[in-house]
Amino acid sequence: MAGKLAQLRSVDPSQYIVYVGFVLILIGFSIVLRDDGFLTTRNLLNIVQQTTPVTIMAVGMVFVLTAGEIDLSIGPIVAVSALLASLVLRESFWPLGAAVGLLAGAAIGAVNGVLVAYVRLPSFLVTLATMGFLSGVARWITDLQSVPITNDTFNAIFGAGSLFGVPSLLIWTVAIVLVGHFFYHETRYGAHVHAIGDSAHSARAVGIKVDRVRFSVMVLSGVAAGLAGLLYAGRLHGARYTLGETDLLTVIAAVIVGGTRLNGGVGTIFGALIGSLLMGLLNNGLILMGLSVSEQLMVRGLIILAAIALTLREARR
Amino acid sequence: MTRFVGRLVLAAAALAASTALATAGTTTGPNGETAVPAASVTLTPEQEAKIREGHYTAGLAWHTPSDYTAAVDRGAKDEFERLGIEVVAESDAGFDPAKQKNDVETMMAKKPTIILSLPVDPDTAAEVYRPALEAGTKVAFVDNAPKGFVQGTDYVTIVSDDLFQMGEKAADAMAAAIGGKGKVGYLFHDANFYVTNQRDGAFKETIETRYPDIEIVAEMGLADPAKAEDVINAFMLKNPDLDAVYVTWAEPAEFVLAALRNNGDDHTRIVTLDLSEPLALDMVKDGNVAAIVADEAYAIGQTLARAAAASLVGEKLEPFYAVDAIAVTKDNIEDGWFKSLHREPPASLTGG
Repeated sequence: MAGKLAQLRSVDPSQYIVYVGFVLILIGFSIVLRDDGFLTTRNLLNIVQQTTPVTIMAVGMVFVLTAGEIDLSIGPIVAVSALLASLVLRESFWPLGAAVGLLAGAAIGAVNGVLVAYVRLPSFLVTLATMGFLSGVARWITDLQSVPITNDTFNAIFGAGSLFGVPSLLIWTVAIVLVGHFFYHETRYGAHVHAIGDSAHSARAVGIKVDRVRFSVMVLSGVAAGLAGLLYAGRLHGARYTLGETDLLTVIAAVIVGGTRLNGGVGTIFGALIGSLLMGLLNNGLILMGLSVSEQLMVRGLIILAAIALTLREARR
Repeated sequence: MTRFVGRLVLAAAALAASTALATAGTTTGPNGETAVPAASVTLTPEQEAKIREGHYTAGLAWHTPSDYTAAVDRGAKDEFERLGIEVVAESDAGFDPAKQKNDVETMMAKKPTIILSLPVDPDTAAEVYRPALEAGTKVAFVDNAPKGFVQGTDYVTIVSDDLFQMGEKAADAMAAAIGGKGKVGYLFHDANFYVTNQRDGAFKETIETRYPDIEIVAEMGLADPAKAEDVINAFMLKNPDLDAVYVTWAEPAEFVLAALRNNGDDHTRIVTLDLSEPLALDMVKDGNVAAIVADEAYAIGQTLARAAAASLVGEKLEPFYAVDAIAVTKDNIEDGWFKSLHREPPASLTGG
């Protein structure tokens, strides 16, 4: 029943606007850039691969926003997780490095979660504080030095490798989006997340363990950011304190453009994927159009504004 | 406290490493390459004709937007235009190595013959330029090359400013402004960034070795440019009676100027690097700013573009070229501005 309810509620016209916008922009670029290699498999794959870390953080963020919370600390979690993983990889085998990166994300998410769910502090302020603290940690861990990763297996799994010809980053995108979609729409857990975002009071009244769910979404977001950190590190064969620094706004824009509500209760995982791809598509297409950097920034700003205006107008009806 | 000591030790080590050249008074490349004057990169009319016939294309993958990047960009574009090479893509990584990797990958869809770039993070940059290398694109760099890359096979060359000369000229300009003696402050860039590290180090080294009567009595590192204002306000509050302050580059120097104005201090002189209109305006009005040391940024782009084009017609290039630095003061503002950025100074500075 709760699952059905959640599904019904997630049918919101706002979530289809992004698909229309995405297709329109895709068609637009395909026409303008028909001779510029835009439609090559290679280039389209590039877009998916380049957006993988943002997509994965966006999946985590959909859960967080739907539960009526927010996580501003994902950027530095990316850097801390990538740096710790690469330090472990210097001495040890890759599963341990990967595990340390993910655990770092989970642990930071758990600290956020305890403060939000059990100490009852607002997530906006908690994660604003942890964001600042962790930026310091990221700089301090290696004293601003980059750490190279020479483990080929790690770099293949989290970076440029492939399985049966399918690039690993594409596999990560598809896997995380499908798993995220399943838990978000098809499980009791997903229904609880929705219920809390709608009304924590009613959710508690029907026996949902509100605190535990709140805690869990923060952990989930931390793990997603940790995984994003591993993916960046694998792609660059190394980690640096600036990784993820500029991702927070991209992730939030992707999620909101995708049709998830900033104030809870409504969201979509596929929408977040499309939102994230849209961001990557804009970066890619505007560079290929040969625009100067200033022009790229202006056009991107205008398109995102248009997309958000469309989505949010629909949502308000 | 331990962290601060650790930082000092590191800074000392970095200084020792990067300024082994200090006594020689020259800049070396990031891997110890000898600097060759940028003006020595030339093309014969026959080579130029051959380049024009090739209908080559180029992509520009910059690191972060600034006046400096804009001047390098202009120099490169002008030179490419002269040589009939079309610029097909341009990007800006905003200091993010992952974004720079995306940018280069994206550009490769247009199969440019040449990519000019400034690597954000040399330690991880090999992966950034790998797709270009695999496609046979000629890559030439500003300032630094990816770790593990070999000049001549993996990349064309590096063109940079004469970093040592910049720091050295800043020290000379400061000494001139305060009559060769006094107590000064030193605000350096507290990050592992070869360019600022070498400039800052050269300033300090020159003051310490050349000017026995000038004493650096206070120093502080700026790690995050966005937070520079707070750091600087604290620094100026703690050190109210300095004769001069060295600031690692123009943007934080604007905060120093603001702090001095707030305190009504018209004694302390500022010396910094990289041109900025607000600072220059203060300088021409006989304010706190004594000198701004600039590099010939336009010439960096021009030389880089020419070198990359030269490599297409089989010309063999040196691994590291450097352009000159200029100390811009009230007296030479018009010449200096044009030499650096290849455009007239803003009207506010020339009274025009």
